[in-house]
Amino acid sequence: MSECVLQAENLSKHWGGLKALHEFNIKFYDKSLHSIVGPNGAGKSTLLNILCGTYPATKGVILYKGNNVTGLKSYQFCRKGIGRSFQKTNIFKASTCLENCCIAAQQRVGGSFNLFKSRQSSQFIKQIASDALAQVGLSGRADTVASAISYGEQRQLEIAMVLATDPQVLLLDEPMAGMGHEESLTIIELLKQLKQRYCIVLVEHDMDAVFELSDLMTVMVDGQHLITDVVDNIRANPLVQEAYLGNDDEVF
Amino acid sequence: MSVFSTKAEKVFILAFFFIALGVPLFFNENTFYVNKISTMLILSIFVMSLDYLVGKTGLISLGHAMFYGLGGYLFAIMVPEYEEVNFWIYTFYVMAASSVIALIVGLIVLRTSGIYMIMITLALAQMTFYFFADSTEYGGLDGLFIYLKPETSIFGLNFLDLDNETHFYYLCLLSLFNCYVFFKITLQSRFGRVIDAVKENPERATALGYNIFHFRLVAYVLSSSLAAYAGYLFSLQYGFVNPTMMSWEVSASALVMAILGGLGTVFGAILGVFVYESLHYGIEHMTQYWMFWMGSLIIVMVLTLKSGIAGLVEKLVTGKRK
Ligand SMILES: Nc1ncnc2c1ncn2[C@@H]1O[C@H](COP(=O)(O)OP(=O)(O)OP(=O)(O)O)[C@@H](O)[C@H]1O
Ligand SMILES: [Mg+2]
Repeated sequence: MSECVLQAENLSKHWGGLKALHEFNIKFYDKSLHSIVGPNGAGKSTLLNILCGTYPATKGVILYKGNNVTGLKSYQFCRKGIGRSFQKTNIFKASTCLENCCIAAQQRVGGSFNLFKSRQSSQFIKQIASDALAQVGLSGRADTVASAISYGEQRQLEIAMVLATDPQVLLLDEPMAGMGHEESLTIIELLKQLKQRYCIVLVEHDMDAVFELSDLMTVMVDGQHLITDVVDNIRANPLVQEAYLGNDDEVF
Repeated sequence: MSVFSTKAEKVFILAFFFIALGVPLFFNENTFYVNKISTMLILSIFVMSLDYLVGKTGLISLGHAMFYGLGGYLFAIMVPEYEEVNFWIYTFYVMAASSVIALIVGLIVLRTSGIYMIMITLALAQMTFYFFADSTEYGGLDGLFIYLKPETSIFGLNFLDLDNETHFYYLCLLSLFNCYVFFKITLQSRFGRVIDAVKENPERATALGYNIFHFRLVAYVLSSSLAAYAGYLFSLQYGFVNPTMMSWEVSASALVMAILGGLGTVFGAILGVFVYESLHYGIEHMTQYWMFWMGSLIIVMVLTLKSGIAGLVEKLVTGKRK
């Protein structure tokens, strides 16, 4: 395996009495795709949100390339190279697709406090943005307003925006949710390419996609880590089957 | 890329400034109207600065008049009595001082947003109002008088006499023009790109690595210091400052004018001010119940014009071209 880029140690998030995440330990490796599955409410989104600083952890440590990044502000995570996409589509609906990616690219290029330099002046920003669009297959939509493209395309745009920030780690929260079959295939192809260059953490309910893409898989239930292993072992594991099937019985 | 966002804006701005240039010639005998329009130009700067904050940055303030009043007070306090000072130097002083105050106030109020920001800006403005209203040193409710208007020479050249109504009018017009161009340039800049993003989706902007607090703070300081500049011009025009300038009614009516003109359009501020003030003036002369009629009219206009008068202009201009 390649080197570990992102690591969580005893990570916990408690919402009042609810342990959305409890004493979670996990390691993510470079140039690989690690998927996280589990029933609804298992705490998958919570884990991603904490890994990119959206809210602070109740307890525990996040290590990024060996450095402790636990206390950083949420905007600093992105600058370090931890980019994320949202479970619920979260884009700039009033802007064109290209502009959406330009906003992302400008953060990395800089000069955002320049009051006088026209936002259109940088070919470099535009180039990064259109490259990102091209990667997800949205080049044809560059000048279309984001609210006017299909739901599936908005999910693609969501990923393009993350790519434009030049991340090292991609935290993707159900990128294929609500997509049509064709669009899912595009994303699967895209992720296959991306995982050769990035460390990807994928939360996804589409099991076919997960089994096809994952190098490693983690199953979590009720905020707790159940098992992490390669796909074939997970498939055969009786514990996993029980976790999925037996979940309803646990609600007293 | 042009300064204008739409065709309507271009048509309006060109027509407005062209006509405005001729106003003093048209009213050559009647300084009353020239003065009246100067005041509207000043008010336009103030309302435009509020639109920058509310319509463009997405921060709603109900205490913007605090900076309008402070602009006047800062000058009146800083200037030595009975001494003729230089206009440009004191413009710099007033803007610098108000920027520092805006920075400090911004650090406090921008920790909140939405309804809480409305409340805290209102509260701070009211505190400042009562501070000046109750202070004997600063003249209480009567405020302070400005006995001598500043002289305006630069490098020994003196072509502007602030006591001359026509000269003062052109100073206001130039100020409004500069203010408009400045705001538009900053909105089309890289900074403006982030401001758009922060307004539309602050959560996403944060996730993309922007510290939205800093961007809001810069926008707040820009907006507030230009509001202060407007207040400074107002106090020069009338030769005094008093706490009424920063009363909540001034903040609220500025907000009404910005909404009436078309929030987030920048040039709509000019429309909002001129329509509001003309109506005010017209109706006041017809009936003593002007507040009632004015209020009703504004409600009707806000309800029927979806994006303010600027939106109406937009429709007229694009409609004609089809
Ligand atoms: N902001 C919040 N405040 C309180 N409770 C929360 C909050 N966010 C999530 N939770 C709770 O934490 C638990 C885990 O939620 P989370 O969204 O992480 O689940 P998930 O695994 O992503 O589920 P899904 O598959 O439905 O997206 C849930 O019980 C949820 O109700
Ligand atoms: Mg989720």
